Amino acid sequence: MSTALSVVVDATLITLILALAAFGLAIIYGLVGVINMGHGAMLTLGAYLTWAATTAGLPFVISIFLAAAGVAVIGLLLEHIVIRSFYDRPFDTLLLTWGFFLVSTEVIKIVFGTDLRNVANPVPGAFDLGGIQIPAYRTMIAGCSLLLIAGSALVFFYTALGIKIRALIQNREMASLLGLDVSRMYKLVFVTGSFMAGLAGALISPMLSVDPYIGNIFLVRSFFVVIIGGIGHLLGGTLIGSFLIGGSETLFALFSGQVFAQTAVFAVAIVVLRFRPHGVLRSG
Amino acid sequence: MKQRTLKHRSLLGTTPGDLLFSEPGAALIVFAILALLPVFFSGYMIYILPQYMLFGVLAMSLGLLWGFAGLVSFGQAGFFALGAYTMGLSMKSGGGIIDPAYLGLLLSLVVGGILAAAVGYFLFSAGVRGTYFVLVTLALSIMLEQIAVSQSQITGGWNGMFIDRMSLNLGPFGKISLFDDAPMYYVILPAVAIIYVILYTITVTRFGKILNGIRENEDRLISLGFNASLYKTGVFAISGAVACFAGALYGTHANFVAPSLAGVLFSTEVVVWVAIGGRGSLLGVLLGGILVASFSNYLSAITPEYWQLVLGLLFVAVLLYFRGGVAGAVAQLVNARRAK
Amino acid sequence: MKTASELLRTEGLTKRFRGLVANDSIDFTLKAGELRCVIGPNGAGKTTLISMISGHQQPSNGAIWFQGQNITKLSIIERARRGISRKFQTPTLFDNLSAYENVELAVLRTGCPPRKRRSRILEVLDLVRLVDLADTTASTLSHGQRQWLEVGLLLANDAILLLLDEPTAGMTVEETASTGRLIRRLGQELGLSAIIIEHDINFIRNLQAPVTVLHLGRVLVEGSFHDIEHDEQVRSVYLGDQ
Repeated sequence: MSTALSVVVDATLITLILALAAFGLAIIYGLVGVINMGHGAMLTLGAYLTWAATTAGLPFVISIFLAAAGVAVIGLLLEHIVIRSFYDRPFDTLLLTWGFFLVSTEVIKIVFGTDLRNVANPVPGAFDLGGIQIPAYRTMIAGCSLLLIAGSALVFFYTALGIKIRALIQNREMASLLGLDVSRMYKLVFVTGSFMAGLAGALISPMLSVDPYIGNIFLVRSFFVVIIGGIGHLLGGTLIGSFLIGGSETLFALFSGQVFAQTAVFAVAIVVLRFRPHGVLRSG
Repeated sequence: MKQRTLKHRSLLGTTPGDLLFSEPGAALIVFAILALLPVFFSGYMIYILPQYMLFGVLAMSLGLLWGFAGLVSFGQAGFFALGAYTMGLSMKSGGGIIDPAYLGLLLSLVVGGILAAAVGYFLFSAGVRGTYFVLVTLALSIMLEQIAVSQSQITGGWNGMFIDRMSLNLGPFGKISLFDDAPMYYVILPAVAIIYVILYTITVTRFGKILNGIRENEDRLISLGFNASLYKTGVFAISGAVACFAGALYGTHANFVAPSLAGVLFSTEVVVWVAIGGRGSLLGVLLGGILVASFSNYLSAITPEYWQLVLGLLFVAVLLYFRGGVAGAVAQLVNARRAK
Repeated sequence: MKTASELLRTEGLTKRFRGLVANDSIDFTLKAGELRCVIGPNGAGKTTLISMISGHQQPSNGAIWFQGQNITKLSIIERARRGISRKFQTPTLFDNLSAYENVELAVLRTGCPPRKRRSRILEVLDLVRLVDLADTTASTLSHGQRQWLEVGLLLANDAILLLLDEPTAGMTVEETASTGRLIRRLGQELGLSAIIIEHDINFIRNLQAPVTVLHLGRVLVEGSFHDIEHDEQVRSVYLGDQ
């Protein structure tokens, strides 16, 4: 009985943490069609900036927002200098953002070194639920993830800005005819996605040892989350994709090693991608 | 006749000067220089150079895919490592009726080719796009690395696997030991040259021309009645077989393979070599692999971070400003000179 | 029903996009060696009709017969191999290859033996008046030349039925006139058939080919250009459209 409960709890936590990690990617890919291979580097940057800020003595809550803002600024520079001329060439943006990953990873190594860094857990301890221990911080992160996604849903569906963005995805030419400044909207979307990636990296940092490649753990999984959930199904797609990827990883891990579970999940994801290239939410 | 002014004249019309300035001519010079190096040098350089040549072959496996068919794979290192493990396992097995080294080389071609063909056909027949193909190959690389880690009773896990140096079994004429570096060098160099010739030949045949069509406009090609997914599967299979074969030779040369050889970082290093070398030219790509790997080895002893940073910036610069890479720039220079 | 010279027949061909009916039960026949213009106001369903014949779109209902065989379920590739070849509304070429290499690719799919390829390529280039530009990269050709090159691809691909979507769009008056001559020549000398979507009334008049008028996804009327020109229904559709 308690095994079943712990599986449910594990799957829920993993789903929501994965959704958090993938959300920035989902925004950028879903709304402006850029396959951001630099997403992992953005997560890493968010984690390192959090480490730097907390080490400098700032409170954790302020640190994570500073880190996210820092990543957003870097995303803005990347968009302004390189990406904005390539929106209609997805393959080039894929390679260029990978170039961003290569460059920023080396800059991180130069600035922060390659030693493992640890961010102190701001909410240590665990609480007891029906006999199983649930780490408090993970639970908090899962809550943050839900809040962020719900908050974005509100913006997306109920504000003037959200309507403009949705008009933009529906029809780029029509949106520009209606007087929307398309290039500014694209920039805003890219920066928001970068901010979310930075925030995710910041929030995840206390859970893991921070190293220059920490973000890559999430890179491919995030992509599968977005593709399987369905591109453009920003909110529901991200949650469902995370559930399928994270949840099945938890399940596989019951019967095999953690490492093998990841391999199995990737294999399943590739098969899904083959048969449902538009994601599980889209029919046909 | 007007037709005489065309570039597309038959081979009979090719002058010796044309050959000298063509890619095969340049390749002849490069391989001649490589063949002479052990006469003048010995020691570490002759030990390590074959490994870089095999990196060059790995780069060519991607060059064929990217430069000619327009497909980018982030999983080439996965095939390379698969080849090394295949070699290691068949050396361990003793080979049975056929020599274990030959078995390893043969199996690596088959295993790499079949895996790539299976993955390729599975995806391409459903019309999976180029961008998703990149992601799948990236995942493939990670999966192969994870399998190498998790199946430790076979692969040695994190600790890796030792692989004996192969020896050249000439049947009734006995065996030639390749334990010394110079004989090994003279086995690997011709292998690299043969692979280059085969791949170059592929690019100028009907198959190669159709690959160009896929790169330029796949929809147009399909509308002309070509089964594009079959050709894409074919080129990915060739690319996988070549990368795997190079990995098998690498494994027996380096005497060792570990899971990180399959990893994403090495895979994407290959992408950088190919971009900088010049993806439109197999020779450029081969040299890109050899030279960038050599520099990386040399410079990472001195200034690892800054060298990698320079490589990353070079990669972006190539994508933004000179898509032909170094080989493309050289070809432009030569053509401009000759046009005068 | 089928006569010996019938090349293409559609029966009740219908295409629905969600609520919209783009083609509504179209019965259309084309004889071997026939040129046919398809005209109609924007949104009449012309390109949809061509796309269903070429296999780029699947009909919601109805069937397509080509040379007496039902090809409704065949893929683009299989139809191209039977000789149905399509020119797109905007020229679709291998942009970074030369005109020669473009045509070469089309020839490579056919049964043309290797030693005859070169003369075949030059023959086609000559037909579409691009021999002098054989080494020119496709992307640097003028818009009209790109249109011709794409027609050349279809010819080199051994097409029997050419589906030409606005072959004169973006052409000068002279280019349009010589395109008309080219297409007539294809019909008369090579015995090819073509369905031509056009807006240029002079071009259609000069082509002297039968015309099918589509309106709101249906065949409004068919006949010679002269008949069409004086048809009350057609006039009201076009005038009402303006």
